[in-house]
Amino acid sequence: MIEVEDLTKRYGNFLALDHISFNAKEGQIVGFLGPNGAGKTTTMRILTGYMPPTSGRAVIAGYDVTTDPIDARQQIGYLPETVPLYPDMTVSGYVKFMAELRGLADKKKAVMAALEQVGLAHRANSLVRNISKGMRQRLGLAQAIVHNPPVLILDEPTIGLDPQQVREVRHLIRDLAKNHTVLFSTHILSEAEQLCDDVIIIHQGKILAQGSPVELRERLQLSGRIYVRTRGKITALQDTLKRLMEINEIIPYQDGVIVTPKNNREIRPAIAQAVANAKLDLLELRPLATSLEDIFIEITEVGGDA
Amino acid sequence: MRSVWVIFKRELAQYFVSPIAYLVAFAILLLISLSFNSDLEQRVLNAQRPNGTIALTAFAFFMIFFAPLLTMRLLAEEAREGTLELMFTLPVRDSEIVLGKFLGAWAYYTVILALTLVYPVIIMMLTTFSDALLHSEMDIGPVIAGYLGIWLFGGATLAVGLFFSALTENQIIAGFLSMATLFILWLGDLAGLLPSSIISTELARALRVISLQAHYSTSFVIGVIRMEDVVFYMGIMAVMLYATMLTLESRRWR
Repeated sequence: MIEVEDLTKRYGNFLALDHISFNAKEGQIVGFLGPNGAGKTTTMRILTGYMPPTSGRAVIAGYDVTTDPIDARQQIGYLPETVPLYPDMTVSGYVKFMAELRGLADKKKAVMAALEQVGLAHRANSLVRNISKGMRQRLGLAQAIVHNPPVLILDEPTIGLDPQQVREVRHLIRDLAKNHTVLFSTHILSEAEQLCDDVIIIHQGKILAQGSPVELRERLQLSGRIYVRTRGKITALQDTLKRLMEINEIIPYQDGVIVTPKNNREIRPAIAQAVANAKLDLLELRPLATSLEDIFIEITEVGGDA
Repeated sequence: MRSVWVIFKRELAQYFVSPIAYLVAFAILLLISLSFNSDLEQRVLNAQRPNGTIALTAFAFFMIFFAPLLTMRLLAEEAREGTLELMFTLPVRDSEIVLGKFLGAWAYYTVILALTLVYPVIIMMLTTFSDALLHSEMDIGPVIAGYLGIWLFGGATLAVGLFFSALTENQIIAGFLSMATLFILWLGDLAGLLPSSIISTELARALRVISLQAHYSTSFVIGVIRMEDVVFYMGIMAVMLYATMLTLESRRWR
């Protein structure tokens, strides 16, 4: 549904996107995860045809966004970060306007269906300026789905909402994914973990990692640092571990040590063996990154140094 | 073209729910009625031939100030509210956005202008269709030509205003810049009055050629429809709309 190849965007001398590539298959929810300024919005703006890439290719449902912009845009429903509303229009008038600009034949039905789906049908005749922030967010979504596009692109759809509204919007996104491919961005890790089939971690214009939340966790735990704690003094443990070939670095941390393996090798069995051979009592042996949050911070720190 | 129609409809409807549009209409109509009234009084007292275009001459001058008020919102507000970003991602061409908005503004202007048709009607009631309160009949030729001219003139001022609205996200700046530009274009007519030590004759002539007023006050309003004047106003519209489109397009590169 979404194919991105070697996408690069420069603003003057600033490299906002550095040769990123990824794919999203039909019916998937793909989450763009990254700190502010990582390049999430830039990528989405290129995909939606708001601005052209400096180089590279983006294809939406078979249409290239640079060579076939009008057709590509027809395949997309887009909710920008600031919900684009006209305060002086009515709720249904606004959705109808968007439906008309997208050239829908059966506008009335589509507008009501979209409002129904986001739970705003009862406010159809209210002025946009009079509805709450949560409702505005949902109205933004209604506008994005009114033409039933194969691809939905949502830029930080839950930002600035209260917890109840966040839950509603997340629920809605999961619902929408039954009929649409959804690409959304967030800097909230638990959100990506809950919603996505695929997470793309992006930082300083580069994709640092990509995969399902479970996959990501496993992969990164393997390459990540490991915390080891034994009964007794740390020095004994340090001496034992120093003899292992695969270890790069040993740093004392709390009552134990943090071990960084060489070349992302799985060294937990080796550590267990060594500790047992040295007749130390192993109390703890675990990957340091246990949640997506840790992984994220770890990855972005590494990316930041590079 | 379908998108032009959709945007046009929304923009025109927007004027009818916007307080500023009503204020502009009210101010224009009030000022014109005052100038019409005093002009008519003068002519009756002096037993002069009634002038059916007096409302138009006032109208042209007031548009320098009121056209920016009608257009400053059009694109600046959309840019600030973020709706322009969405607009850019719809299957709609930039040219269709510009054209739809411009035609919406021009249509609203046409409505206000049409309301002033009441003045030529009043004069005709007083002359042609009455027992000669005034000595001679109104000349209908200049009225028809004048309305065509002022209609084109208004379109040109609105196109200038739309361009400045595309240039900035700030409505006040957009309004101010277009007002200043229109004022200079209006005063270009007077460039020839300056002594040649200040301004060269060629420059004065050039300024007069692009003066908004000159193409109106010496032609349409005295009943002359010249191709060059029609082309002048159409040209200003075309150039300004094209510049607006380029400005919008350049936003995508920023």
